Amino acid sequence: MSDIEIEIDGQLVRANQGDSIINIADREGIEVPRFCYHKKLSVAANCRMCLVDVEGVPKAQPACSTPAANGMKIHTKNDKAKFAQKAVMEFLLINHPLDCPICDQGGECELQDVAMEYGSDVSKFNEGKRIVPDKGIGALIQTDMTRCIHCTRCVRFGAEVAGIVEMGGTGRGEGVKIEPFLTEGIQSELSGNMIDVCPVGALTSKPFRYEARTWQMNAVQSVARHDLVGSNIYTQSYRGKVKRVVARDNDSINETWISDRDRFSYEGLNHESRALKPKVKIDGLWQETDWQEALKFAIDGIKNNANSSEQFGVLSSKYASLEEFYLLQKLARNFGTENIDFRLDQAQLSNASSLESTITLSEIESIDHALIVGSYTRLEQPMINHRIRKATLNGASVNTINSKKFDFNYKTGLDVLTSPQKLRATLQSVLKAIHNKTNKDAPSFLSQVSPEDIHNKIADDLIESKNGVIVLGEHLNSNLDSIAITSLIEQIASAADLKIANITLSGNSLSAEKVGFMPDEKGMSAASMFNESTKAFLLMDVDLEYDFFDSKSAQDCFNQEDVFVVALSSFENQSLLNGADVILPMASYYETSGTHINFDGQAQSFSASVKSPGDSKPGWKIIKVMADLFELEGFDYIDSTQVKEQALQLSRNKSSFKDVDFENFDDSQITTHWQYTPYVTDSVTRRASALQKTNIGMIDSAFVSEATAKKLGIGNDDLYLGVPVSIVDSVAEDYVFVHTNQARKA
Amino acid sequence: MKKKLKKLVNDFSLGELRTGLKVTSKEFVNNKITVQFPEERTPISPRFRGLHALRRYPNGEERCIACKLCEAVCPANAITIDSEMREDGTRRTTQYDIDLFKCIFCGFCEEACPVDAIVETHIFDYAFESREGSIIDKKALLEIGDKNESAISKAKEEDSKYR
Repeated sequence: MSDIEIEIDGQLVRANQGDSIINIADREGIEVPRFCYHKKLSVAANCRMCLVDVEGVPKAQPACSTPAANGMKIHTKNDKAKFAQKAVMEFLLINHPLDCPICDQGGECELQDVAMEYGSDVSKFNEGKRIVPDKGIGALIQTDMTRCIHCTRCVRFGAEVAGIVEMGGTGRGEGVKIEPFLTEGIQSELSGNMIDVCPVGALTSKPFRYEARTWQMNAVQSVARHDLVGSNIYTQSYRGKVKRVVARDNDSINETWISDRDRFSYEGLNHESRALKPKVKIDGLWQETDWQEALKFAIDGIKNNANSSEQFGVLSSKYASLEEFYLLQKLARNFGTENIDFRLDQAQLSNASSLESTITLSEIESIDHALIVGSYTRLEQPMINHRIRKATLNGASVNTINSKKFDFNYKTGLDVLTSPQKLRATLQSVLKAIHNKTNKDAPSFLSQVSPEDIHNKIADDLIESKNGVIVLGEHLNSNLDSIAITSLIEQIASAADLKIANITLSGNSLSAEKVGFMPDEKGMSAASMFNESTKAFLLMDVDLEYDFFDSKSAQDCFNQEDVFVVALSSFENQSLLNGADVILPMASYYETSGTHINFDGQAQSFSASVKSPGDSKPGWKIIKVMADLFELEGFDYIDSTQVKEQALQLSRNKSSFKDVDFENFDDSQITTHWQYTPYVTDSVTRRASALQKTNIGMIDSAFVSEATAKKLGIGNDDLYLGVPVSIVDSVAEDYVFVHTNQARKA
Repeated sequence: MKKKLKKLVNDFSLGELRTGLKVTSKEFVNNKITVQFPEERTPISPRFRGLHALRRYPNGEERCIACKLCEAVCPANAITIDSEMREDGTRRTTQYDIDLFKCIFCGFCEEACPVDAIVETHIFDYAFESREGSIIDKKALLEIGDKNESAISKAKEEDSKYR
């Protein structure tokens, strides 16, 4: 491994030929000041702060771009190095304003820290300082470009990591400005990381602006629950409120980055619609009450309304914690019902969840080919998309089979446009093509299929790849044909020897699957529960408008007089007030301890960062007390770690593959796919105001092709189900792709 | 024996009384040092640290920028500040409370302030009528500053040459 020996500050160090000096120094814990160097970005060597003295070289050398060579003797703290570093510091401070007291970076500023050690206390510069006008770059990032020291970390971040070049340097010398090329705001879904990489206060968090000083906040290690990755984060709270979320390094999960959704969703926690007190509905009127009364009312209501235990249904969103899922399903099963489900947005209880991912997050980086099916991965799973992007930078190719051509932040090769109803036919063609090329006997249902040219090419790419992956995305959830498609995906993967990345389920779904938060053969699933037979419901963190595939029939069911609905919820809205009979205020993200299971199957636990507001209580405690009031056995838990230990002992509950009827399928209808923008996926994010003002958050269009628009009799800017129509070429025929932040209407 | 004789002479010649009267008669003709507080006041050093005040710029804009350095430096945790972005985009306080029961009048807040907003005036004779009265808020602090601006700036001026 280490093939050379060098000396840094008199310390003998073994290293690899070609490692940069700063890398070696960092590893050995020797401090070298730097601004432009960042371990995850390319080396620019333009700040010159890391100058060190290399013996035998007349001038001081930048440690970040000088490769180590055998026998090198390096001094980072001798007079020559110090002199060079102090001189650079003086230059950097010439134009930096002295506004640290009002700068949000104050206290965690790399420039402040380095200036404390290398700066002079008296300025020799009496001329005027440079002022740079600010261009607004959107709702998330506040710019104060006068403070910029031109390290170009944000520029390199955009080009290398986010994949969208949005910031750039213009001008020369003193006139250099770092500014966005476009003025309509940053487009990237990872843009918040620019705040983290900025070493000064030029880029700071806009929602956090002037809220608190960095040293006042209490940082707690936590895990983001919005996607399958479970990015590691710090929540920073001040006076019991989460004020900011920043990334925590974890190379196997999120590296150094987090998505904007993870970073800015905390704003929703302090939304005015928080449920703060237990409430009961008596004769159609809501009354605030205390916990004892509310729980008694809830328990009595369930017992009275559900004549038999099968008339009781339990539903949850995908975003609860492992402990909450475990306890709630245990409560339901001990109560005697199998009507348990979290797959509220699935059109068909698909085979999708039985399809297991066979690749890990860090392995995605080393793939050589990916076929993405039914996913706008960039918005839906930003961190997984980032790994795919890293693979493309190393030469991997990506093909997509989507219903619309999406704007990925890497180049895609072949893009097949297929409407959901035609997806089966397309995948069958690809499978047939693979069988043809590998001279294997195709299954009988493929006998009528004749692949087109593009299917052959996709099959070629799949067969040729040595380390390929097929990515199955969440657009499948609302596809009525998802059972057949999942089965085809599995067959393609085994025929072409591909790995599978199943990202159909988001949030903490893998926890729900782990503890079996779904019905067995006797029970009813979410889709089939809203018939006459279920008379009492227990909902956990469910939004009646957004979360259901068929929200109208769900709401109609809940609104019935004789249906009793108990809602554990962190937020209230009109639909919940209409549908529910008891609202039990529940602690939200960062307010309760819990566990998230990510794409790799890693169970990551987190503790509460702040106390939940008002009278709200952690969900697992509410469920435990309810179980006690139902007089159910086996709920003697003292803390949530006991629950977690029990839950983790379960082996993953796999629903078995359903048989597929490949013969009869009607694909002649025009279909509509309702896809949420990433910032309305869960109850907290939906209420984060800054995210809603971003370009991604404001997406609200029904994309339709010209021919289909004619058939439907709609034109540009008409409303289709309340969403403005946009006629584009890049969408499949006989199909409407509704990409929106509005609640589902179809 | 000699000592006893000396004491006897002293006692009979009212020696103690004469010593005492000597001080009295000397002070009788000397300048008086008693000050008739509150009509009269003793001179105070420009560095005297009394009741706090928040200052304004001559154009009426409050100086405080909510940097919270005083809050951070306060050894008694007597200062509580909340900040926001004012409509014009500047950083301002929404709350600035000092608990005078906690305050130890060390003057660190004044030292830490980058804009000379929080100062300690020469006012030392104040009283509260209730326990809650010990907490003075931003409005009261600005009022104290407005009322005493001339005295504050004079004291600052006098002290400036030693800084």
